[in-house]
Amino acid sequence: MKYAKWTFLATLALIVFGFFHYTLPQHDIVRIVNTYQERQDLDDWTRIFWATPDDQATGLINRDVQFIQAVDADGDPRVYRNEDTGWNWPPYFKFDTANLQTQAEDLKSTSAAPQWVSITHYGWRIVYLSTFPNAIAVKPVAGPDVTVIPWVNIIILTFLALILFMIRRMWLQFRERMIDPVIEDVEEAWDNVDAQADQAAAKARGVWGRFKAWLGTWQGKPRR
Amino acid sequence: MIGLIRLAVFGFIGMTAAYFLMSVYSRSVERERLEKEWDGDPAKGDDPEARDAYIETGLQGYEKSLRRKLIWLVYVIPTVIVLILVYLNDT
Repeated sequence: MKYAKWTFLATLALIVFGFFHYTLPQHDIVRIVNTYQERQDLDDWTRIFWATPDDQATGLINRDVQFIQAVDADGDPRVYRNEDTGWNWPPYFKFDTANLQTQAEDLKSTSAAPQWVSITHYGWRIVYLSTFPNAIAVKPVAGPDVTVIPWVNIIILTFLALILFMIRRMWLQFRERMIDPVIEDVEEAWDNVDAQADQAAAKARGVWGRFKAWLGTWQGKPRR
Repeated sequence: MIGLIRLAVFGFIGMTAAYFLMSVYSRSVERERLEKEWDGDPAKGDDPEARDAYIETGLQGYEKSLRRKLIWLVYVIPTVIVLILVYLNDT
């Protein structure tokens, strides 16, 4: 049972962590090398890793998706998709895919004359499933070593912690004011039942005791 | 466009639930505070009817208070955040 509990809790923690890791924005310092557009088949379960861009496209099983190719400071490739999230989840409200693609195109550079940029994105690159993180914004930066403080994540996580704290406070207040009094009432009622049972038992014992005492008179024992 | 409507509908449902919970919680805290204020003051006596009246008056005052009205921010803040995000993420 102990292992079942810990397995359950660990799975839950992993799911929560994975959810936030996928959804919250992250920054990569990269150098954009190219942009391209490619037709993607969206007819299997990996559909969940692509955006739902507009009303017409929801019925399609394939469509064109824009991509941004980049390399990071170590020379490792980073490929981003560039899709509208619209009003859907995750709530980035991104509608400017074409603008972002233009900016990315403009910031292309060679390794001889590198122009480093910070790409804000969410999502995962899973090569086995051909999933790509979605680029949200691109901004030129001074060099490959700049530090980006994730203010948005700090604010969001603090806010969520605050909400959890409030829910806990609400639950404690609800329990204190609504549930505990009822339990006290039930306990009181139960105590009364108990007391009555004790009394009845004492009474019964009394009758039995008197009966035994009466029997005892037949054996010449004195009545008590 | 359907996405916007969906966001508005579910957002409204969510915010209404949050508003309802916050109202109940805040009122409950206020009532508890009034009860403790009465019980902690020996000068107020122990007439249960006077105690009820005191709490009722206090809660009526609370209904008009700023704190009660601040709960409406539950509707305002998420809406403003969405508008800011729409603006910032697309410029």
